[in-house]
Amino acid sequence: MGESLKDKVAIIGIGCTKFGELHDRSLQELIVEAAYAAYEDAGIEPERVEAAWLGTFSPGFGGGKASVTLADALRLYGKPITRVENYCATGTDAFRNACLAVAAGVYDVVLVVGAEKLRDRPVRGLQREGTHPYLEAGSTPPGLFALAAVRYFHRFGGDRRTLAKVAVKNHRHGALNPKAHFQMEVTEEQVVNAPLIAYPFGLYDCCPTTDGAAAVVICRASLARQFRTDPVYVKGIGLAVETGWPFFDPTFEYIGFPATVAAAAEAYRMAGIRHPAREISVAEVHDCFTWTEISNYEDLGFCRKGEGRYFIEEGRSALTGDLPVNPSGGLKSFGHPIGASGVRMLTEIVLQLRGQAGARQVKNAELGLVHNLGGPGAVACVVVLGR
Amino acid sequence: MIGITGHVVYLPRHRIEREKIAAAHGARPILGGERTAVGFDEDAVTLAVDAVQALGLSECRGIYFASTTAPYLERMSAALLATACDLSEEVTIADFAHSLRAGTTALRAALDRVVAGEQGPIVVVAADVREAPPESPEEQWFGDGAAAVAVGREKVLAEVKAWASVTDDLLDFVRRDKDERITSFASRFTVEGYRRSVGRAIARVLEMSGVGPSEITRVILPPVDPKLSARVAMELGFRAEQVQEMFLDRVGMIGCATPLFLLSAALEAARPGDRLLLVGYGSGADALLLDVTSEIESYVVRRPVAEQLRWGIRFPSYELFRKAREYFRHHDEGPILSNIFYEKEEVRTIRLRGMECGECGLRQFPPAAICQGCRSRKSLREVRLGRRGEVFTYTVDWLTASPMPPTVLAVVDVEGGGRLYLQMTDVEPSEVRIGMPVRLTLRRLGAGGGLYHYYWKCQPEEGNNGRKS
Repeated sequence: MGESLKDKVAIIGIGCTKFGELHDRSLQELIVEAAYAAYEDAGIEPERVEAAWLGTFSPGFGGGKASVTLADALRLYGKPITRVENYCATGTDAFRNACLAVAAGVYDVVLVVGAEKLRDRPVRGLQREGTHPYLEAGSTPPGLFALAAVRYFHRFGGDRRTLAKVAVKNHRHGALNPKAHFQMEVTEEQVVNAPLIAYPFGLYDCCPTTDGAAAVVICRASLARQFRTDPVYVKGIGLAVETGWPFFDPTFEYIGFPATVAAAAEAYRMAGIRHPAREISVAEVHDCFTWTEISNYEDLGFCRKGEGRYFIEEGRSALTGDLPVNPSGGLKSFGHPIGASGVRMLTEIVLQLRGQAGARQVKNAELGLVHNLGGPGAVACVVVLGR
Repeated sequence: MIGITGHVVYLPRHRIEREKIAAAHGARPILGGERTAVGFDEDAVTLAVDAVQALGLSECRGIYFASTTAPYLERMSAALLATACDLSEEVTIADFAHSLRAGTTALRAALDRVVAGEQGPIVVVAADVREAPPESPEEQWFGDGAAAVAVGREKVLAEVKAWASVTDDLLDFVRRDKDERITSFASRFTVEGYRRSVGRAIARVLEMSGVGPSEITRVILPPVDPKLSARVAMELGFRAEQVQEMFLDRVGMIGCATPLFLLSAALEAARPGDRLLLVGYGSGADALLLDVTSEIESYVVRRPVAEQLRWGIRFPSYELFRKAREYFRHHDEGPILSNIFYEKEEVRTIRLRGMECGECGLRQFPPAAICQGCRSRKSLREVRLGRRGEVFTYTVDWLTASPMPPTVLAVVDVEGGGRLYLQMTDVEPSEVRIGMPVRLTLRRLGAGGGLYHYYWKCQPEEGNNGRKS
């Protein structure tokens, strides 16, 4: 077992664009806005950045899938830039790789950008790319998670009304957030009566397809206070990859995601967390679909397997609860531009830990968690941040 | 003894009432009841695969495929069938086509081969999805379907005593190489031609075997006309009770599969000692005389006709019935795949092979180098996966691109181990539940790059979950 990342890397600057259907803006404009906001927040000039990581899933036309998308947008030339793509954990994995480079002592100050322009694509929903033409034919992101939700209900009970509570909560949080894609509350009746997308998910059980970008500037922890008085430190990071084809694994139970369990175990080990539900103050978790958030409560150790529905029903994950989850509004309400999301969630936790989250501020936030879950629950990344 | 050693019918699950077809054209139905009709993902080859699978043979030495509507004009359908049935490269295969008589002609060819010394069984499978012009009477009284018989020497259910043919280049139904739909010349003149050819073929086979019309238990005639068929049988010298029921009110005329379909239905009801006279018609006629043996008493039909008749689900509208038939005429935007990819994929996708671990016993799919259960690298061997199973979990997906949404996607645990992820077809979403028994069925998944793409879907087992109509 290698060393822990704990307290070796600090986040000194954050930037995030408005998320939504940004029809009049390009991916490059979004990258520039997020990166320059992060520079300004860190109080650095662009020249200070020694290396950069870009998380995107679908960079669109021009530059293909290489790192030049970031280089050209920021005119950041002659420096090491790496593009990361790892399903919906793209943003957090880009951050993780940047942290590893800083912790290794190779660079002092680096930039991480997550950016996505989903609305520029010609298809509804999130098109799955590179899938097998026969073996996965007909699969869609909501359909893949729905397989687990159906099995989970079969095993532990619950129904569309259970799911609706997650949507209601995250919309309520999002309504407090001026940068969220949706700033509107919804009622349980609205959610339950919405058209079905992939049973048991209806329209309001699914996150939207969104445009947006977010950026963070990180540095070696020992340098952080040169830049600001309230840096946020990385306490632990875990990434775990399970099968991309869980539907072929005869041992897969379809009641949760081992990738999240493994990634959390790694992050908690680094951070020295033993009782996540008691120690973590606030969490941004991957609520691509309402049921996913319920599973996340369990897989992240906030409660036991099968008890996630009570966690939401009892209001424990609400802003007023004992472990507020997705105060930003979550993917559900803030939006989910794939590569941008993980980085955006980091910026939310940084705001919470700095006490700058405004109307959605969680009281006495000491330790925050960010979680992404990608593919059919195949790739999970968990980041723990603290003051 | 040489004869029929197995038989089965496969009717597509979808049906449409003739009232609905007629009403769409502001007309009256020419016949009561309903017809069978393919879903958008079916064609003559997929129907044939379903029939051959339902036959449930443990051994097969050859496949003779008969159809006037094979999906490929160049590429042997029987080869695709042999792959889907995971047969060895040594099987004898052939396609028979171009005539409603192709089913009985293929049967004759199989008999000839067994007579020539082949041990058998040879599977003769006929399937048709015939396209008649909208508004034509044929659109109403045709049906879609498949039937298969096994021909061999062991455990013969019905010994074939004699067969004979006549040729007649009479024009009744034709389709040129450039036509998508048949042109019908059906009239009292063609009925007369039917009577002539069928009469002569029957006379020859009866003469060869020294049997009189009254000694026939059941005469199996393909229908010639929606209204006149029964009368024509009488005119040929048979009593009404000798004539095999034609299921026109529930199925329709299913092309060159009709003779084998009706033979299978007759065999389901047959008793030892019964004498059957099977007729195929088209550009002449084939007639075969069969004596039912005592083996019939212990033969179990896997998918009885009566159960399949109850199993139907109806197209909600004429428009959807037509859309299902025409979808792939207008949609060719599926993936363009190389023949090299196809060759690599064939084993795992069409033959449906998986792996079994010698260390931990886990059956897994698709084929891989390292065991998913115990990570052992040397212990996996290729196995055939089961083709029936149970739904482990599912969803009803409205986002999946489909001509007929929603799409049911299911995770299926197959018999003998292994798990598959399959679209469910021929299903009403409200039927689906965890634990539901399903059967695998090869279907058209898409079209593109000059190919139809076939892969497995699953369908509900009839009798267990089918809505009783």
